[in-house]
Amino acid sequence: MKILICDDSMFVRKKMKDAIAAADPEAQIAEAANGQQAVDKYKSEKPDLVFMDIIMPVKGGVDALSEIIAFDKQAKVVMASSVGTQENLKQAILSGAYDFLQKPIENDDVARIISKAKEA
Amino acid sequence: MFTQFFGNYLLRKQLVTPEQLSEALKIQKNTRLKLGVLAINAGYMTAAQVEKAHAEQQRTDKRIGDVMVEMNFLTREQVEELFKTQPAGHLLLGQALVDKGCMTNAEFESAINSYKAENSLSDSDISNADDEVAKKLITNFYSFASKDESEYITSYLSLLFKNLIRFIGYDFAPLETISAETTINNVVMQDISGGMNMSTMIYGEKSALIEFASRFSGEDLEEDDEYTQACVSEFINLHNGLFAVNVSNDHGIELQLEPQCYYETFDMVGLSRACVIPVGFSFGTVNFVIQI
Repeated sequence: MKILICDDSMFVRKKMKDAIAAADPEAQIAEAANGQQAVDKYKSEKPDLVFMDIIMPVKGGVDALSEIIAFDKQAKVVMASSVGTQENLKQAILSGAYDFLQKPIENDDVARIISKAKEA
Repeated sequence: MFTQFFGNYLLRKQLVTPEQLSEALKIQKNTRLKLGVLAINAGYMTAAQVEKAHAEQQRTDKRIGDVMVEMNFLTREQVEELFKTQPAGHLLLGQALVDKGCMTNAEFESAINSYKAENSLSDSDISNADDEVAKKLITNFYSFASKDESEYITSYLSLLFKNLIRFIGYDFAPLETISAETTINNVVMQDISGGMNMSTMIYGEKSALIEFASRFSGEDLEEDDEYTQACVSEFINLHNGLFAVNVSNDHGIELQLEPQCYYETFDMVGLSRACVIPVGFSFGTVNFVIQI
């Protein structure tokens, strides 16, 4: 499985990589540090699953999500944010998000989503 | 959170020095609560009775609980009840200070009673330590400019202290607010916009921020590098995010967070109304800034 992690924090990217490696040691991981990089990497790498932060410089996560969905309707993009308000949740789902995680992200959440994506 | 404010109270009343408090915060997790401190806290015994029982125990070499029952200071049931008491943080802190010889049992008795009285707290308030108690402690401790500001800052701080306990550790005491310096160093800033405009910051000495980042990440960090800054930065982002969720749920106000920025030095001109809240950890002081 190929997974793209998009977060402007190198700390969060490292924690996500550890969580993914624990859930699926075979997973190939790509990284992006803002929404624009995520869109570009999605197009070049065609990952099976994306974990996307919302608040990022250059391009935010919701805009990146919309662009990815416009490119690939089947894209599985999981929004991962510290701001899990109803409004953000609604916006993410309307824009085509696959799931929503409230930070701090637990390893179990990552494992659950990876197995859900594999079953689909 | 009662423990943290009780620690500050001891400092403010000059019952302990900052060094003694810092040392006690460090050792409290390995401290075993003794029956005397539990009995004083429950109001079953006075400090003088505890001292008498200890003197008697040394003479007779019996268990302290038995001595206290024989001297009619406690009933058997009370001893059993006290042994079942969950080790509340403020008691561990008190015990650590008594063990270190920084305070006597009598000083602990008078401090805990006057602190409860000053804040009109009952024993159940302290053990439950719910949101309302936390907010009462914060409102009594800090004074803020306006009522509107005060409500949001109180909620912000109540959540901040909870998150510090949850993600960093309980070995801290909130210190008195300080007025903003003209320039500050090693700063992570995050602006909040939407239904309310706020600037928030975290700053401090590099050594304190490295330890703060180590605790938050669960890793052993030693250098002030980009990764350490990213850890500190993520703490403030996480805290502000959870605050935005609360404000949305409680007040129906939607807030947006801006990406965080790191500054080696930051000019505070323009943030003259900022409220600076230093938090004294056992490893050093970390400052939080809020301006609404």
